[in-house]
Amino acid sequence: MTLVLGRRSFPDDATLMMAIVNRTPDSFYDRGATWAEDKALDRVAQVVEEGAEIVDIGGIKAAPGADVDADAEIGRVASFVGRVRSAYPDLVISVDTWRAEVGRVVCGEGADVLNDAWGGADPGLVDAAAEHGAALVCTHTGGATPRTRPYRVEYDDVVAAAISDTVAYAERALAAGVARESIVIDPAHDFGKNTFHSLEVTRRLGEMVATGWPVLVSLSNKDFVGESLDLPVGERLTGTLAATAVCALAGARIYRVHEVTPTRQTVDMVDTILGRRRPQRAIRGLQ
Amino acid sequence: MPPVPALLPEHAGRVDPVADLRAAAGAAVAWLCEGADGVRVVAADGLAERVARHLLGSSTPHRAGTRARADDAVLVMANGSARRSEKAPGHLDERAHAFDEALGAALATGDVTALAGIDPVLAAELWATGTEAFAALGGLVVEESQVDYDDDPFGVAYWVVRWTCAS
Repeated sequence: MTLVLGRRSFPDDATLMMAIVNRTPDSFYDRGATWAEDKALDRVAQVVEEGAEIVDIGGIKAAPGADVDADAEIGRVASFVGRVRSAYPDLVISVDTWRAEVGRVVCGEGADVLNDAWGGADPGLVDAAAEHGAALVCTHTGGATPRTRPYRVEYDDVVAAAISDTVAYAERALAAGVARESIVIDPAHDFGKNTFHSLEVTRRLGEMVATGWPVLVSLSNKDFVGESLDLPVGERLTGTLAATAVCALAGARIYRVHEVTPTRQTVDMVDTILGRRRPQRAIRGLQ
Repeated sequence: MPPVPALLPEHAGRVDPVADLRAAAGAAVAWLCEGADGVRVVAADGLAERVARHLLGSSTPHRAGTRARADDAVLVMANGSARRSEKAPGHLDERAHAFDEALGAALATGDVTALAGIDPVLAAELWATGTEAFAALGGLVVEESQVDYDDDPFGVAYWVVRWTCAS
């Protein structure tokens, strides 16, 4: 299905890189490297240069930590979205927020996508997206409260739960007026899930793709990779790329990433093997 | 015209490694087809035949046009040595350059006698393709010759040459 992400449309065979840009002092991977606004803008310039189609700007780390209320979150992201919009008129800007109040402000500043990592915790977020013609990412968290870690979570069937919840969320967004081609679903690896859950979601991602809704995966350097390989943050790129390849094979459309170039190469290689994408330049043996 | 498999659509990449050759070949084939009732293809093997058929299929002959002469249009699929450098498909053979130089000069001047005299054993050793077809050209009189392409981008000598012959 053609994807419409705010001001940009993408054909149904396009895969997209969504680069993470943190406006946080405490995110797990970069530990505040782009907390300063100019550093964050440098990060945007870098990922655009690397070919990212989307930037995902977040003002609150996912894990528990110092409270950041809506006003503080707006302070962290809204004017920054405006700066990025001015500098990159055609770039798709996503904002990682679960709050409708924040969603409305950032859409006013030029955001195209609201990436709700917390599975509809704020029921008004769909309305914020609809009011502004923004796209919406509908994730599965198993009903987790924002910024909580999973603790002894169980599912009868984690993939069935992810499909049921994300599709229900997508249909709620549709009913609220978000365009069908602007709704994306995301199983949300590690959110409300232990490592075995995230591995199963990865292994069975094709079942989510089969729903017909475009699927976003956020795998980058997460704990399910770290626990699978017993590696700390900073040493998880290879594992992340292996998981990326499995999701590409299944037909994921959007990849939320820290490392744009290696992920783009992984996805392109898988798509080329599968015949979805032509080799860039083929002459070996064909001279 | 060289029977380069990269010209076939099933081998297309996102970037065309033979764009210049393709353009020259397409223009020459269009010229060849113009006013011709049919084109006779001389190809050494099935692959060369497929390349020729593809090039002919993609041309847009103006069959309504007229020509002073009425004889066949002939498309010969051949190339020079594929052993022109260490990176060439057949690696480097020091004899390749002299061989290709003579072949290129004969093509450019329409020297049918020289082409018919190409040593088939040497041609095979140098991985030159289709040159044996020139032996069948005896008696042809080339009135005009135009070289559209003359290069070896991958260590293989390619030419696109148009001949106009006396009937």
